[in-house]
Amino acid sequence: MTDLLRVTGAVREFGPDAGLFGLDLTVAPGEIHALAGLNGAGKTTLMRAVLGMLRPTSGTVHLGGIALNDLPAEAWGRVGHLVDHPFAYPELSTRQNLELAARLRRVAADQVAQIVTTGMADLGITRYAAIRAARLSQGNRQRLGLTAALQHRPRLVVLDEPTNALDPAGVIALREVLLARAATGTGVLVSSHHLDEVARIAHRISVLNHGQIVGALDPATPDLERAFFHLLHADDEERGR
Amino acid sequence: MTGLQTSVHVELTKAWRSRVLRTTTLLVVVGIAAIGGAMVAAADGGNAQIVAKLGPLADRTGWALLTGVTAQITAAGALLAFGVGLSWTYGREFADHTVTGLFALPVPRSTIAVAKLVVHLVWVLVVALALTALVLVAGLALRLGPLDADVVAQLARQLALGTLTGLVAVPAAWAATLGRGLLAGIGATLAILVVAQVTAIASLEVAAWLPVAAPALWALDPGAVHAGQLATVLVVPLGFGALTVLAWRRLQLDR
Repeated sequence: MTDLLRVTGAVREFGPDAGLFGLDLTVAPGEIHALAGLNGAGKTTLMRAVLGMLRPTSGTVHLGGIALNDLPAEAWGRVGHLVDHPFAYPELSTRQNLELAARLRRVAADQVAQIVTTGMADLGITRYAAIRAARLSQGNRQRLGLTAALQHRPRLVVLDEPTNALDPAGVIALREVLLARAATGTGVLVSSHHLDEVARIAHRISVLNHGQIVGALDPATPDLERAFFHLLHADDEERGR
Repeated sequence: MTGLQTSVHVELTKAWRSRVLRTTTLLVVVGIAAIGGAMVAAADGGNAQIVAKLGPLADRTGWALLTGVTAQITAAGALLAFGVGLSWTYGREFADHTVTGLFALPVPRSTIAVAKLVVHLVWVLVVALALTALVLVAGLALRLGPLDADVVAQLARQLALGTLTGLVAVPAAWAATLGRGLLAGIGATLAILVVAQVTAIASLEVAAWLPVAAPALWALDPGAVHAGQLATVLVVPLGFGALTVLAWRRLQLDR
């Protein structure tokens, strides 16, 4: 089966120790692939490259088997993402923001209202539908951004630190949505600092260090944190030689 | 809906809800008409200080004075307002961190950039029409005389000046994009303003060939600017509009 996402040899340097340095990665249909790494390891840079926000200086990114440069515009309608900040205009209400997000994903006009209503219910923000984004708490703005990324039922989801600012109820709501989507064939690429949370949802955990994948963690590992740092230290020692 | 129609719908929704654009519209329309009307009323009342400030317009009376004063204020005030509006429209995507949501969409970013220009043009037309209407109301309230063909021509030039001023502000969109925020766009607007004003003071002949100065000179004195010179104004929105769309198409979040 064709991978929903395939990154091959991606390079994008921002300095001697920042960026991507020949990174390979795949996301298969129905797979939740988590990225773990310290700050500055290259997780956000990788996601930006996947989403066309950065052009790798070498290497390729394929979505559904098609190189990003050849991807027809409508194919992006099958992708959902939240990278850096939620897509939320402060002067617009939660519902208005989500309606615009759905329209930009080319959701048919007569389906927008239903999709937004369902999306808000999934992430538990229905009661904030009429509230302007500027007045939402950081956590609820994050839920709004996640809803914008997920409501149109994308085949590939890319989320950068999605549990940032979420309360425990928000974390559980997101977990349930992602697991349900993966069960129907959606591929998910997600980065997180919360190894325990990642272990609950991910089928595969890749560890990033200095812009490269340096190893994988088994989500069933009892002491994931120890295994994570063991991989990082081993890589750092290897580089130091 | 096509991608452009979708984008225009999205940008219109954002503009309609924007406090920045609403406030700017009110300040430009009411502010310019009120200042123009007040200055004419003061000059008619024999206020020597105001008459002294009118400069070359001091020998005008009635509608000609009102439209002349309004044109002068529009050239500077409306340019600043339209520049701020464009800076906000493009720069806010970076300032509000919404720009990442404009990537990886079935609607290309270049189309979104075009939609922003379309909405700007709509806004400019609304402001220009409302300002002209309010100048007409101010003139009627001041009983400046009958609405003859000359007066209608003066008001038509005010409408054209408002619209052209909105067009010459387009470099602000490009600057806000390159500068990744509002300040670069506002800086570009101030630069246009300074160049236009200084050139007009230094040499009217040169200013007539300057796209950012020609509309105001023409509105004040139609004989001072010929049609060819006025047509060069379109170079600014077309050229900088194209540069803006290109910048959005090639945009990378690498800073």
